[in-house]
Amino acid sequence: MIRFAQAYVVQQMSDDDRYFPISLQWTGRKTGLLSVEGKDVIRTGVPLDDQDEASGYTPEDLFVASAAICYMNGFIEFTRKMHIEFKSFDCDAVGNLERVGRSFEITQIEMTARVTIESDEVRGKIERALELAAKYCFVGNSMKCPITHRVEISVT
Amino acid sequence: MEIPIRKLFPRTQNGFVGVALSEDTQTYNVRVDWTRDRVGKLLIDGKPTVEVATPPEFSGPEGIISPEDLFVASAAVCLMTTFVTFTKKMRFEYKGFTVNGTGTLQKLEKGYQFTKIVLNATVTVESEELRPKAQRALELAGKYCLVTNSMKCETEHINNVVVE
Repeated sequence: MIRFAQAYVVQQMSDDDRYFPISLQWTGRKTGLLSVEGKDVIRTGVPLDDQDEASGYTPEDLFVASAAICYMNGFIEFTRKMHIEFKSFDCDAVGNLERVGRSFEITQIEMTARVTIESDEVRGKIERALELAAKYCFVGNSMKCPITHRVEISVT
Repeated sequence: MEIPIRKLFPRTQNGFVGVALSEDTQTYNVRVDWTRDRVGKLLIDGKPTVEVATPPEFSGPEGIISPEDLFVASAAVCLMTTFVTFTKKMRFEYKGFTVNGTGTLQKLEKGYQFTKIVLNATVTVESEELRPKAQRALELAGKYCLVTNSMKCETEHINNVVVE
């Protein structure tokens, strides 16, 4: 049985606030099952010595991924607001985990976004949409580390 | 309990301590690939592909994992793996571990930002004697969780130990 945590955040509700509840169930060693209501379950894990465990998502994977996906979502949102089209978008993100004091922290995320467009006329607007997506990324702005954005736009 | 620091002054590529990549640095590579509308794929080498999207809260489709979900999940998963590490160091067994996490995205001046994550963790142990150890491992896990330490927002921990 998976119980969700909405009940714990009843204080200080405002119309503008959005809540994101998740549930995690330990499944032995460093593995778990991550559930978000109504969505596919994700297997998580940090590999010890078992090959099978290497296919689970680590916390660092999820952290870096959340920033990259948020950047993509922001880009899509701004292209819609600006009424511009693109043919493809993908983004590579690399997160660095480093020792900080007694513990570790993700100290930097480097993103490289590639966008293909049909004609050079929209290049300037696509660049602007990418800039705005980086600036207003909810998730990226919730992280301590700096995030760099490299952009490659090509016409095909 | 402290995490042992094996190397106080890690060597780096350019000779500056703690500035450039050191032996203590690990990198994590992910790719996102847009497929349609507000939907894309999350690709990590050697791991199953996950479909991802803008959440319904921001005009995305229902039923697809969002970056907001993954942000909160990264904190919960990190709490769990850090907890497991401490139980191994403290050499005690437990029967179950669950976390219910909720992130609050709040509208600030510069747009939305996560301002709080509540992590409600429950450890199940076999006997009453293990309760203090489980409690301590939960506290240490919260303190040394590298993902929440990498976030700007406050994390509230609600720790429960159940004997069963």
